Amino acid sequence: MGHCVSSIVAEFWDQTRNGLTLGAIYAMIALGYTMVYGVLQLINFAHSEVFMVSTVVTLYAFRDWFNVHNPITGPGLIVVLIGALIPCMLASGLLAIALERFAYRPLRKRGAPRLSFLISAIGASLFLQYLFVLMDGHHYLFIFRLPNILGPSPQPVPSPMATSTVFTLFGTAVSNKRVLVLVVALLMLFVLDIVVTRTKMGRGIRSVAQDAETASMMGVNIDRVIVTTFFIGGIMAGAAGLLYILVLGVPTYWFIGFIPGIKAFTAAVLGGIGNIRGAVLGGLLLGMVEAYSVPCFGAQWTTITAFVVLVLVLMVRPTGILGEEVAA
Amino acid sequence: MSEEGPNQEQEPTEVSVRQTTPRAQPNRWTLMRRDWRDRRLAFLDLRKATYRAAGATVRGWFQPVRQVAQPPRDWIKERRRWTYPLLGALLVIAVGALPYLGTYYVIPLWLQRITDASVLARVALFSLFALGLNVVVGFAGLLDLGYVAFWALGSYTAAILTGARTYSLALQGGNTHVTAPVWNEWMWLIFPAALVVAVIAGIVLGSPTLRLRVDYLAIVTLGFGEIVRELANNMDSFTGGPRGITSIPHPAIQGFGLDIVWGTFLDIKYYWLLLVLVVFWVIAIRLLDDSRIGRAWVAIREDEVAAASMGVPIVRMKLAAFAIGACTGGVGGAVYALQVPFINPPTFALIQSILILSCVVIGGMGSIRGAIFGAAAIVLLPELFRGFLDYRFFVFGAAIVIVMIFRPQGIFPSKRRTAELLGAQHDDQLYDAARAGGSTT
Repeated sequence: MGHCVSSIVAEFWDQTRNGLTLGAIYAMIALGYTMVYGVLQLINFAHSEVFMVSTVVTLYAFRDWFNVHNPITGPGLIVVLIGALIPCMLASGLLAIALERFAYRPLRKRGAPRLSFLISAIGASLFLQYLFVLMDGHHYLFIFRLPNILGPSPQPVPSPMATSTVFTLFGTAVSNKRVLVLVVALLMLFVLDIVVTRTKMGRGIRSVAQDAETASMMGVNIDRVIVTTFFIGGIMAGAAGLLYILVLGVPTYWFIGFIPGIKAFTAAVLGGIGNIRGAVLGGLLLGMVEAYSVPCFGAQWTTITAFVVLVLVLMVRPTGILGEEVAA
Repeated sequence: MSEEGPNQEQEPTEVSVRQTTPRAQPNRWTLMRRDWRDRRLAFLDLRKATYRAAGATVRGWFQPVRQVAQPPRDWIKERRRWTYPLLGALLVIAVGALPYLGTYYVIPLWLQRITDASVLARVALFSLFALGLNVVVGFAGLLDLGYVAFWALGSYTAAILTGARTYSLALQGGNTHVTAPVWNEWMWLIFPAALVVAVIAGIVLGSPTLRLRVDYLAIVTLGFGEIVRELANNMDSFTGGPRGITSIPHPAIQGFGLDIVWGTFLDIKYYWLLLVLVVFWVIAIRLLDDSRIGRAWVAIREDEVAAASMGVPIVRMKLAAFAIGACTGGVGGAVYALQVPFINPPTFALIQSILILSCVVIGGMGSIRGAIFGAAAIVLLPELFRGFLDYRFFVFGAAIVIVMIFRPQGIFPSKRRTAELLGAQHDDQLYDAARAGGSTT
C-alpha cells in the first residue's frame, strides 16, 4: 500500500494528464450511451461500432484522401484535421441514425420487450464488425465489391501530427496532441450543453427523457427527437474516434470499439445514466482512476480497477454519482 | 394472509349440497394436481395482483378457483402423465443418436456438418448454459451480461483440481520431467466442486448488487465477467496466465464392470454426457418453475414492490435464481474443460456471454424449449454458413436483427410471459406512446 501511494505521488501529474485525455475521450463516447438511454432506456450496444467506424474513416482520410505519410505543420495540418474530423463525425452520426432506423425502430413500433432491443443491438454490432472485416477488396456484397479499407488485420494509421511539447506543468510535458484532444472535447461538450439546454430540439430531448407520452401529447415529435439523439451521440463518438487514434497512435481494426465502448458505458453508469453532465464526470473520473491504477498495480490491472470502482460507487450510490435522469 | 388455505377448506357444507349426480371422487393426487393448476392459472391474473397490492382481499390465489363440478376428463389427458415422459425419452434417444445419421444414411453436406458429434456437443453445452441463464433472465428477470464468468470458474476449477495447472506451469517453467495428469476416480468430484465454486461466486457477486436496477445489474455483471477473465489472465501462478492450462485429463469410468473412457474433443460420449446433464436440468428447472420459488420469481419480475409487500423474500429469491444460474454455468464449464483439454482466458470473452444471452432471447425468455432451440440456432447457424466462411458472422448478425424484428418475443415464447405481456401495461411508456400514435405526431 505504501508503495502504491508513493508511486502515485511520484507520477501524479503525468497520470493526471493521461487520465484527463483518456477520460475526455471516454466522456464523449459515454454521451452517446447516456443520451440514448435517457430517451429510450436502451443500452445501445452497437455504439462501440459507431466509434469504430470513425476510426476507420480516420484511417481512410489520412491514408487515402490526404496521403499523409509524414507529419505536416501549419495551415495544411489544420485543413487535414478538419477535413478528417467532419467526415468522421458525419459517418458516425449517419451510422447511428441507420442503426436506429433499421435495428431499433421496427422493434419500437412493435412494442417489443426491452431485452430484444439489446439482442438486436448485439446483432447489428456483429454485422458491422464483420462488414469491416470483409472490406479487404476481395469480398462481395451481392454484386458489389467491397472496397479495400480495413480487412481482418490491424491497419496502422499514419499520423499527420508530430508530437511536440506545448508547455510543461509541474514538471509534466503536455504534448500538442493532448492539448488538441482537450480543446476539441471541451468545445464539443460546451456546444452539446448549449444544444441540450438552450435550443428547441434540446428541450424536446429533455422532455422525452422525462416523460415520453406527455411529450408526445404536447406536440413533440418523438421519432425526430430519437433520431436527433442518436445523431448527436454518433457525432460525439465520431470525434472521439479520431482523437483516440491521434493521441494513442494505435492501429485501427474491426474490434477496436469494444474496450472504449464498455469503458464509456461504465463511465455513463458511474456518473448516473441518462445524465449528460454525469457522463462527462464519469468519463473523466474513470480515465483518472485507470491512470492512477497504472503506477499502483500495473497496466494490466486497469480494467479490473475500473470495474471494482464502479461496483463500489454503485453500492454507495445506486443511481450513479449525479443520479439518473430517465423516463419514469 | 388470513384467507390462506386450510381454514376455509374445512367447511365442506355448500359443496356437497350442489352435487346432484354422485360421481367417483377423484383421488388425492388428481385433486392436488388440479389445485396446483388452478393456482398457476390464478397467478396469471394480474388484475387480482393489483388489487392485492392495493391491500384488498382477493380470493383465489391460495385456494382452488373453480368450485363448479368438472366435466368428465378426456382419457387422453389422463394418459398424458405417461405419454409425455415416454415421448420425451424417445426424443432424447433420437437426438442422442443424431451423430450416427451420417454413418447409416447418405446425407447432404450441410446435414453432416450439423450432426457432427463435436458440434452437437457444443449445442448441448450451450443448451445447458442457456437453461441456466434462462433462470436468471427469463424467470427472475435479472439481466446478466457476465454469465461466462461462471463458465470460466467451472473450467478453471476443473483444470486446477485435476492437477493440469501444476503440470502446465511446470512445462512453462522448462521442467520436462513432469507427467501429464491422468483421470482418477475421485476426479468425478470436480463437478460438485465446480458447482460449489460457481454458486459461491454467484452469491458473492449477487449479494451486493441485486438491489440495483436491471440495467445497472447488466453493467455490473458484465464487469464481473471481465474481472474474472482478467484475473485469469493476470494471476499467472494460479491460473497459468495468458498461456492457459493444457492436458486436462479426459474422464473415464472404470470398475463396476464398466470400461468407458472419454476420448478427445470429437468423442461422441461428451455429447451424451452433456445431453444427460441437459435432460436432468430440464426436469429440475421445470419443477422449480412450477414450485413456490418459480411463482416468487414471476412475482418479482412483474412487480417487485407488490411482491415484497406480499411477503416474497426479494433478495433471497433473486440470489436463488443467481445461484442456480451460476451452478449450471459451473458444471457446464467443468465438462467443457474436460472435453477441450486446453483453456486460456480468451476462451471466456464477453462475446460468449452475449451469445448465451442471445440463445435465451431468440428462443423466447422464460421458455425451456426456447432456450434449447435458441442454443441450437446460435451454434448451428454459423456452422451452416461455414461454406461462406468469411461471411458467416456477418450473416449471423443480420439474422439476429431480423429475428428480433419479426419475433421480438422469441421463437417459443413462454405462455406465462405472453399472458403477462398481453394483460399488463408496459412499464416503458415510450413503447406504448410510440404504438399509440407517437409516430404520427
